[in-house]
Amino acid sequence: MPEKKCDPSELRAETQPALDQSKFPMDIGEMYEGERIRKPDLYAEFGGVDIPEKFELVLVRPMEEVQDGRVEVVGPDLPKLQIGGAYPLGILIEVSGSKLDRDIEGVLERRVHYFTNYIEGVMHVNQRTDVWIRISKKSFERGMKSLAWVGRALILLFKRSLPIVEKIQVTFFTDPAKIEERLREAVKVYNARDERARGLTEEEVDAFYSCVLCQSFAPSHVCIITPNRMGGCGSISWFDARASSNVDPKGPNFPVMKGDCLDSVKGIYTGVNKVVQDRSLGAVQQISLHSLFDHPHTSCGCFESIAFYVPEVDGVAIVHRDFKGPTVNGLTFSTMAGHTSGGTQNEGFLGMAIEYMRSTKFIQADGGWKRVVWMPQQIKDRLKEAIPTGMRDLIATENDAKTAGELKEFLKSKNHPVIERWAELEKAEKEPVPETGREVPPETLPALIPAGLEIPAVGGGFKIILKNAKITAERVIIKREDSRK
Amino acid sequence: MIPMSEREPSDVAKKLLELAEKFGQIELENVQVVVEELTLQLQPTIAATRGVAALQPSAAKPMDRLLEAEFVKPLEVYPGQVAEVQLGATRSEGGTRSVAVRIGGARVPPFYSFEGANPNRPAFAMDVFDMPLTLPKAIRQHYEGVMDDPAAWAKKSVREFGADIISFNLISTDPGLKNTGAEDAAQTVRDVLNAVDVPIIIGGSGNKEKDPVVLEKAAEAAHGERVLLNSVSTDTDYKRVVKAALEHGHSVVAFTPMDINNQKKLNRLLLDAGLPKDRLVIDPTTAALGYGIEYSISLLERIKLAALKGDPELQMPILSAASNAWGAREAWMKTEELGPREYRGPLWETVTGLTMMMSGADLFMISHPATVRVLRGLVDSLFGIGETDQKIEDWITAIE
Amino acid sequence: MTEKATLLTVYKLLPQTNCGECGEVNCMTFASSLLERKKIVKDCKPLFQDAKYRAQAAKLADLVAPPVREIVLGVGERAVKIGGKQVVYRHDLTYHNPTAIAIDVSDKLGDAEIIDRVNRTEKFQFTHIGESLKLDAIALRAASGDPQRFAQAVALVAKGSSLPLILCSLDPAALRLAVEQKGVYERRPMLYAATKKNWKDAGALAKQYSCPIVAFSPGDLSELKALAKTLRAMGNEEIVIDPGLWTQGPLLKSSVENLEMLRRSAIQKKDKDLAYPIMAVPAVTWIGESPDPKAAAYKESYMASLLLTRFADIIIMHSLDVWALLPVVNLRQGVYTDPRKPVAVETGLKVIGNPNETSPVLLTTNFALTYYTVASDLEATGVTCHLLVLNTEGLSVESSVAGGQFNAAGVKDLVASSNVESKAKHRKLVIPGMAARLSGEIEDLTKWEVMVGPKDSSQIKEYLDKFWNESKMP
Repeated sequence: MPEKKCDPSELRAETQPALDQSKFPMDIGEMYEGERIRKPDLYAEFGGVDIPEKFELVLVRPMEEVQDGRVEVVGPDLPKLQIGGAYPLGILIEVSGSKLDRDIEGVLERRVHYFTNYIEGVMHVNQRTDVWIRISKKSFERGMKSLAWVGRALILLFKRSLPIVEKIQVTFFTDPAKIEERLREAVKVYNARDERARGLTEEEVDAFYSCVLCQSFAPSHVCIITPNRMGGCGSISWFDARASSNVDPKGPNFPVMKGDCLDSVKGIYTGVNKVVQDRSLGAVQQISLHSLFDHPHTSCGCFESIAFYVPEVDGVAIVHRDFKGPTVNGLTFSTMAGHTSGGTQNEGFLGMAIEYMRSTKFIQADGGWKRVVWMPQQIKDRLKEAIPTGMRDLIATENDAKTAGELKEFLKSKNHPVIERWAELEKAEKEPVPETGREVPPETLPALIPAGLEIPAVGGGFKIILKNAKITAERVIIKREDSRK
Repeated sequence: MIPMSEREPSDVAKKLLELAEKFGQIELENVQVVVEELTLQLQPTIAATRGVAALQPSAAKPMDRLLEAEFVKPLEVYPGQVAEVQLGATRSEGGTRSVAVRIGGARVPPFYSFEGANPNRPAFAMDVFDMPLTLPKAIRQHYEGVMDDPAAWAKKSVREFGADIISFNLISTDPGLKNTGAEDAAQTVRDVLNAVDVPIIIGGSGNKEKDPVVLEKAAEAAHGERVLLNSVSTDTDYKRVVKAALEHGHSVVAFTPMDINNQKKLNRLLLDAGLPKDRLVIDPTTAALGYGIEYSISLLERIKLAALKGDPELQMPILSAASNAWGAREAWMKTEELGPREYRGPLWETVTGLTMMMSGADLFMISHPATVRVLRGLVDSLFGIGETDQKIEDWITAIE
Repeated sequence: MTEKATLLTVYKLLPQTNCGECGEVNCMTFASSLLERKKIVKDCKPLFQDAKYRAQAAKLADLVAPPVREIVLGVGERAVKIGGKQVVYRHDLTYHNPTAIAIDVSDKLGDAEIIDRVNRTEKFQFTHIGESLKLDAIALRAASGDPQRFAQAVALVAKGSSLPLILCSLDPAALRLAVEQKGVYERRPMLYAATKKNWKDAGALAKQYSCPIVAFSPGDLSELKALAKTLRAMGNEEIVIDPGLWTQGPLLKSSVENLEMLRRSAIQKKDKDLAYPIMAVPAVTWIGESPDPKAAAYKESYMASLLLTRFADIIIMHSLDVWALLPVVNLRQGVYTDPRKPVAVETGLKVIGNPNETSPVLLTTNFALTYYTVASDLEATGVTCHLLVLNTEGLSVESSVAGGQFNAAGVKDLVASSNVESKAKHRKLVIPGMAARLSGEIEDLTKWEVMVGPKDSSQIKEYLDKFWNESKMP
């Protein structure tokens, strides 16, 4: 393929995006998504374990501040780098569009990972300040001799898939001095975003969002996504759903006006119930957003974890998909998943995203973390910061208890708050169960069948063989056993 | 007094039990049982659904007359309804068909005629191709001599085999086959339109890039005839086909590969592009018997129920390519142990089509004449047409 | 609204002592097994032996019992369950207990012919997608009108076959004579049938010998309901209902309506008096003098097929022609596939055409639809290749890549276990386009070069023509 000359200095003034893919020195397509660039083919890499200065940031700017199609490389470009070397890099993508607002930045930023991987000869791993990019010798030799080509490819891909991005410009920072300053700013942006995401509550917004992506598998299921409740699959936050709804109003995500709040603790809203009724064609009438018990939220089947009721201790246990083997109630994740999926409401069982456990409203109607009694070590570690300090040691893992009996002992020894509920339970149990005087149905008694009237055994049994026997009895009573007296 | 020794043990047991049953309890005194071998079987579990254990063959409770019972029809009410689509335009409507065919309009589930009357019968289209192709012998034998001439092929299908509609497939436009140009293909469409006066469905080759072009030209050639353009999907230039449909007065098939969400999305897109609801037919995919037909069954049932329950994105009549059945090896393989394929083949297509019909399909594409004949006869019966003197009460003795 | 059977509602009715007598580790797992129909209510022994649990036991039995009663036909190894349906539409859950297919045998036939027919019924077997498709029972018809002959024929069949039996006669005396033979009553044959004329004697006989009994009332659902209700009041529990099937004319319409109404009544309206499995007899297509055997078999076949999607739990057929039975058993297999479980094909190395060591090696998943589509596209376009089928738990490419079942480690294991390295000289693997994101990982683990193929299998030929160059093989 003839070499395409590309002088970075010329590109500074470039304002027309090269949307013609055939003009690129390297290929672009989804088939390159999994492409790996190994040491022998490595031209150079950016970021990675040994390089602390790296970031990738998308910012939404006012229209007039973005020069559509502009690509700039600030600092040394590819030809100046040493073959096989590792370098700092900052990527700044600035976009604008009449439908864009700052809340969509995270959604767009995630796309950078996929789009960059679609470029032949470019490998992209991680995000934000963990980003790591490799450039292949092959693509460099073919003519991809500037980071500007990566920028132009990103512009092409963004414009092709996201028409709401009306203007886009890309800047690569390879000058260490410039990166440091920009990195500090980027971190500020990430933190502000996260805080906003965490801070926003259901009360502050007018609309939640729905997701029906998995309705193919569960016809009566619809996910309601709020700032405090992520979709069960763990992929879609309220911000993502909002963005998706704006991009494709006829798609799987659409706004759900809250309506009236019937119960703020359980999370019951008239608007939500209406949508759930409509979308499930009447199969589901009502849902609580934050409870396992009263009309729990339905699931399709791709949830990341399950919260389940353990009656012996009146507590809630949690298990995630990666946990193999039986949980504290004897059932595995997949067995419980079978009961929880398909869009049914299963009292005492709730399919959920792992992120939901970080929510301030996490099963608040049932007591939140104070009600949680057991969870696998793996996710306990992962969610450490989300668990209130006082509770961390009180929640058992598979290393502390494997059965409900062991769990009960553990909770007693730790003085878990759930113990207070036991006193009430025991009171209820002491009430006598009224007898009805019904006879046991005859078919349940062991049947003595003389050899002549054999019925082939179903489900086991024994034979008693008497040889040369003499049985004497003063009295033998044969009584008809049924309810007729 | 029972002389025990003179009877079989099982008789003894039986007699004792009869007595016990009658009197409620019997007592035997000074019993001595001498045996060479006696086996007692203890069965802790008898299958729960079984009746009383054999030890207690108790008598039935005596009844002197039948209990009263009235059967009440379990009727449901459906808020929604499927749209009706007309295929073919008559002279007064701007076309040249002698009769138009209406499909869809369902108000109750398929053949749940006890709770309502669906206005239209399922309709049957027969496949015609614009070039000869390899077909199983069972089909081919009926079309010897006409496979070179689509017009003759179409004529034979209507006159001899009773096709309500012709499904004319322009497979030669496939770049991998003859790569016939859209204009030339449009000419053959005109030939077929002139040869028969039933409505027609026009199919492309399945090539995603070329089909919209071919269908556009075909639409033009069939201006005013209200044909069904088969098909568009989410990854074809559906807007082009919709434009042609609107310009020339046709309907469109929305095809999706067994994905209800995708079907809803495609329908939405087409309606948004300006296609009226009564110009849209859907094909959610018919899998052959033995090769996934159950997916199609449940898909169609779900779609029909959703439509009747009020989901506006699924209230369209359904097209079923029952001739997909011929893709199953059981339909065409010459294997002795499976019996003669001249029966096996059409039966395979018949069962596929019939199953789809019971699941809610309104319009069918069929290759074998026997399938059309049988299914049409079945529809007559299911619509209450015809007579019979079949007496089934004595079937036990009436079958030879 | 009646309570639904869920893990918690079931659990609440159990003793909750975690005693383990049922064989499960605790009551919760027993509840789960109960709902999955792996265990029955009576497996919880304390519940049924301890007086204090009486009320709960009854409530539990009621809660988990399927709205259409489950009945066991026959005894021993060949016993078959029918009924037990929970839903009207399979997409709402699944259909349990595939429709049993019984083949009729007339007592007018000679002994040798009877034995031949029974043998042919037993021998009928086809394997399809890893499952053995067979026939289930024998229905003996008292066509001769001679009770002695009928009894003889029944005894003959009972002796020579372990298949479940259905004894067909509207004369209860003939039924009794046949049933009360050693070797017959132990088999608990199903009795066909109790009608408005003979129900007293037929019902008593069934109760006496604990035989399932069919209530037959052609075309009259009120009478059918009355019959079933009365049989139940007499003490019969295993009842089957036959509303009559006409296979021609307008009565076919009402036959279909009756099937629909009966099933809906049992499941949606919870009518206990009609909560029984439904029988239909497509063999009626053979009624008449000298029917054309091919035409009758053809019609019977598609009628039987129609019944499979219209709620028949057991059918009686006459034809033993393989070509006529094949569509029926195939359709039955499909309809009774659990829609919650993906259908999978065998994994491993398959061949398309006659590949040699320079032929391409392609990769696909074991989801049946994917596999058949790919295989069919390859065959139709004349591609010759090796095809590796990966175990993705029956999920499609897209789903399994997203869900992780399609992963590089699995491909590595497949390459090893299939021994493909001895079949191909080269080390190039073509993977589906939707699995592009795994290309690097697969290369790392298998040490093969990965080529990312098209997303749609219909374009594989084109792709191979363009990118696969056999002459460049090492």
